[in-house]
Amino acid sequence: MSDPILSFTDVSYRYPDGTNALNNCSLTIRRGTRTAVLGANGAGKTTMFLHLNGILRPTGGHVQWEETPLDYSRRGMRELRSRVGLVFQNPDSQLFSASVREDVSFGPMNLGLVKEIVRERVAEALLAVGMAESADKPVHNLSYGQKKRVCIAGVLAMQPEVLVLDEPMAGLDAAMQTELTAVLERLHASGMTVIIATHDLDFAYGWADEVIVLQSGELLAHGLPAEILQQEDVQDELGAAPLVAEITRTLSLIGIDLRDKGYLPRSKNELLKAITALSRQEKTS
Amino acid sequence: MLIEQSAYTNRWRRVSPAAKGTFSLCGMIAAYAAAAPTTACGVAAILCAVTVLGAGIPPVRYLRVAAPALLFLAVSVLSLAVSLKIGATAGDLSLHLARTELERVAHVCGRSLGGLAALLFLALTTPLSDIISLLRRCKLPDTLLDLMTLCYRTLFVLSETVHETITAQSARMGHATMTRSLRSLGGMIANLSVQVWQRSQALHLAALARNNDGALRFLEPDYPDSPRAISLAVISGLALIIMAVSLP
Ligand SMILES: Nc1ncnc2c1ncn2[C@@H]1O[C@H](COP(=O)(O)OP(=O)(O)OP(=O)(O)O)[C@@H](O)[C@H]1O
Ligand SMILES: [Mg+2]
Repeated sequence: MSDPILSFTDVSYRYPDGTNALNNCSLTIRRGTRTAVLGANGAGKTTMFLHLNGILRPTGGHVQWEETPLDYSRRGMRELRSRVGLVFQNPDSQLFSASVREDVSFGPMNLGLVKEIVRERVAEALLAVGMAESADKPVHNLSYGQKKRVCIAGVLAMQPEVLVLDEPMAGLDAAMQTELTAVLERLHASGMTVIIATHDLDFAYGWADEVIVLQSGELLAHGLPAEILQQEDVQDELGAAPLVAEITRTLSLIGIDLRDKGYLPRSKNELLKAITALSRQEKTS
Repeated sequence: MLIEQSAYTNRWRRVSPAAKGTFSLCGMIAAYAAAAPTTACGVAAILCAVTVLGAGIPPVRYLRVAAPALLFLAVSVLSLAVSLKIGATAGDLSLHLARTELERVAHVCGRSLGGLAALLFLALTTPLSDIISLLRRCKLPDTLLDLMTLCYRTLFVLSETVHETITAQSARMGHATMTRSLRSLGGMIANLSVQVWQRSQALHLAALARNNDGALRFLEPDYPDSPRAISLAVISGLALIIMAVSLP
């Protein structure tokens, strides 16, 4: 197990209007892992994310970076926010500048980097999200999905250690989702810790190392997707189970075991592969 | 947004904004310094020709962009040139063309045309984000420029919201009758005010998340070959001014 990078200890948060958005949440996120945060609308995902880079300060409990509680001073926040990059849900409310390249440069310029380095990082980040050709376009001429990718590039250009994405897949077409998944895969391979809020159970099941399920501000479950997403209370709360998980379970009920050395398929492609492999085995035997 | 479209697609999009700014400024000075109204009009014509022929802005689009300003100019010139004269006897009202004023009016008109052509040259060839970064280099106060940046960006977000709201209201018969239309308009204004507030809040959070602590800083666009473009702009601009001043 890798070291903890961010953790919550009994974190509670109450909005000024009295809404209790988080209640005594304790959890640990480890370096280099992929975490999916699940929960119904209003469960507190966004609120949780705002705590991860110090924009909200818990009204109870505390948040830790590695083992030390966050330092909410100006300097402490600068340091934290250069390490934890947060991409918000709505692209229109986080793009400042009219031109794509300028907007992506905003974060690295705030870090006080010299222009040459900023230029390099902007180009790299735009390349990573596949928006290099649109660098000189005005932001308002981009499609929704393209704007989302620019937002992600804007945070990638800061080269954070932890990337936190609030519903990055929402509003993207299937091709863009696949592409974004590939981008995330590359980032993960390069050692980045990635945390994603999503409503897409199938994606969470196939992609995440760990899932966190929130239920009206409380931590309902935290652990391996294969275990957590099979729990009855979790399925009740989320209203569904991942399709691949249901198919493998049903098949196992009728005596077809897709397990390959103990590994269950987690995505559509893995499932198809397992089924083909099984039918081949049957033919040869 | 015709201006927007031209600014991003014209032939001189990649020319250094400093050069275009210099030329535009020289054009304005030339129009102001011109001794005779005809010379000022000549300057306007040259600037217009440079915009249309040089930067490749379609003439029709140019006219459509210039039309509101020209209309405004026409109205003000008319009101300057023509004055109401109230006669000695009651009810004796006559329109009066002030002959002595005419020359001054022609002067104002020529200068305005020149100034308009110079500004249109800049606006149609240079995207606003480039103009803002140019102004930043000219050491204009940061606050002013940040405001410009945010206003410009918000303009598009809001116009999109207005569009969507009207469509949504129409889809639910919100604009079926006059009174309903008025009601819907009121609803939209109320809703927009809240949205503006929420958006500013969201922008503030997003700025914090990207480590901002005050002034908005962006990477300035980098333009190739600027010294040559700038010297060309200075030379042609000066030529324009000299011509305007020396012609009778
Ligand atoms: N600024 C605010 N002021 C007051 N209450 C808020 C505010 N923002 C969120 N809330 C409330 O806090 C709770 C959690 O909201 P949050 O935005 O974290 O949910 P979420 O899980 O991100 O939902 P979604 O899936 O819809 O994005 C909700 O009940 C919401 O109404
Ligand atoms: Mg949310």
